[in-house]
Amino acid sequence: MRAYLAFIKKEGLELIRTYKLLLMFLIFFAFGVMSPLMAKLMPDLMSQLALEGIEISLPEPSAIDCYAQFFKNLTQMGLLVIVLMFSGMLTQELGKGTLVHLVTKGLPKSTILLAKYTVASLSWTACLLLAFSVTYGYTVYLFSGDEIFHLFYSVSVLWLFGLFLLAVSSFFQTIVKSQATQLILVAFCIGGLFLLKLFPKMEEYNPLTLVTDNVAMLDKAYDLTSLTIPIFMTIGLTIVLLLGSLLAFFKKQL
Amino acid sequence: MNVLEVKSLTKQFGTKTVLRDISFTIPSQCIFGFLGQNGAGKTTTMKLILGLLQANSGEIFVCGEPVVYGNTKTNRWIGYLPDVPEFYSYMTPREYLSLCGEITGLAKDEIRSRCDELLELVGLSKENRRIGGFSRGMKQRLGIAQALLNNPKLLICDEPTSALDPVGRKEILDVLLKAKEKTAILFSTHILTDVEQICDQVAILHEGELVLNGSLEDLKKQHAKNQIRLVFKEEHQACQLQSLLVTDARIKEVHQQDTTLNVEVNDLEEDGRYLLKVILESGVPIYQFEVLEPTLEALFMEVIA
Repeated sequence: MRAYLAFIKKEGLELIRTYKLLLMFLIFFAFGVMSPLMAKLMPDLMSQLALEGIEISLPEPSAIDCYAQFFKNLTQMGLLVIVLMFSGMLTQELGKGTLVHLVTKGLPKSTILLAKYTVASLSWTACLLLAFSVTYGYTVYLFSGDEIFHLFYSVSVLWLFGLFLLAVSSFFQTIVKSQATQLILVAFCIGGLFLLKLFPKMEEYNPLTLVTDNVAMLDKAYDLTSLTIPIFMTIGLTIVLLLGSLLAFFKKQL
Repeated sequence: MNVLEVKSLTKQFGTKTVLRDISFTIPSQCIFGFLGQNGAGKTTTMKLILGLLQANSGEIFVCGEPVVYGNTKTNRWIGYLPDVPEFYSYMTPREYLSLCGEITGLAKDEIRSRCDELLELVGLSKENRRIGGFSRGMKQRLGIAQALLNNPKLLICDEPTSALDPVGRKEILDVLLKAKEKTAILFSTHILTDVEQICDQVAILHEGELVLNGSLEDLKKQHAKNQIRLVFKEEHQACQLQSLLVTDARIKEVHQQDTTLNVEVNDLEEDGRYLLKVILESGVPIYQFEVLEPTLEALFMEVIA
């Protein structure tokens, strides 16, 4: 446990001193600010773009538009930023050989992997919370009268998908040497999930549902029980991927 | 007591046999010079001792405990310095040693005192810069400090001096001599003069086989040739004497190189006196007569030839 905490501390120090944490916070803060602002300003911007003789009429913006923008930013750019930031967490250390000293000091490989996954997950959690708090605060301020349903649930399933994506990245980092190859494999994996969506029978098992239906979930009529299977599938796959990562990393020669 | 015992160790990578049935032991407080050309299998042997690679056959014992691949507990007895030690560039040396101390399981007070002691030993006690700004020599010294942090019974150094300037090399050799008081050292290197300076025992690995193993003095006695070097002013003088010696039954071998003759004899004292007599009688003027001390380099070249 002490080695696990020491390694987590080291990972944290790395994020701070290499300015990765600052960069992530700035990006996610921007996502948080942009979502309500874009929703609020979009009608004005569009009206200024209107050409002579053409009238553009947009409905009054609402809180739903803020969250639609928020989920669009987070499920696309937000997840991409997190995957990119942590795409070298293991491959870079294995490539440089910085883990050799620590492993020969008795640091178990499982501790390394779990500590790295923990720090990546905590960073994703903090970034998501930051972006969501800013969006939530602004939305309440700008659109106080609007009623939104299942908001925290919708954000929670997005968070869960982020954890799954980090597990996919961890798994590929233990089986390939190059950071670029690992990123390509993660992209293929996501592409595969999109392909599965073409088959209606697979829809209810697909983890991708957790990041494609977020705006629909904000509707009062949305049946949350339809997400039960994707949620359990995502949790199950995350655990399987982490166990697979541990096994592959154990076999990997340093 | 032997700190390290390697018994009949064999390692293959695919179809290539990198180590073939090698065995050796290292007693406590001994610096064991581990020599061999590039690709001889030195680093592979060290990684097997550290449990970082899996052997095809054979056994390794550190302080009497068997080494197990993957997560060996014997590493608590070992300190390891790789040939190019890599550190976290954003950390200071003290932060790095503290991390190593926590991983090793040392108490907080002990970590603090060991950090002070070791940074002093390797001359980095006043360095508060981050490791990213360190020279290669400084990184090598920090590598030794981290390797000695847990008071190891066995220190494994993989070519620690090979990329250093003469000053850096001397600093590392001095640190190793100090460390020898408390630990056995497996010292892999290409630099034979370093081995002659600090090693008590030497083993030479060649194409995966241990071709020599023993104390430096014994090995020199057993394997070195009795050679006398004769230097002349002119090349034709060397040729003249060579033609005399090559047919002499008391001379084992004669090699000429420009103005120099290397003469191999059976007995340095008796045959040396005889050689002087032959030179005097021949009337060839000689510039230099030198009895060659057996060197590790000559020994190394002989066994790997």
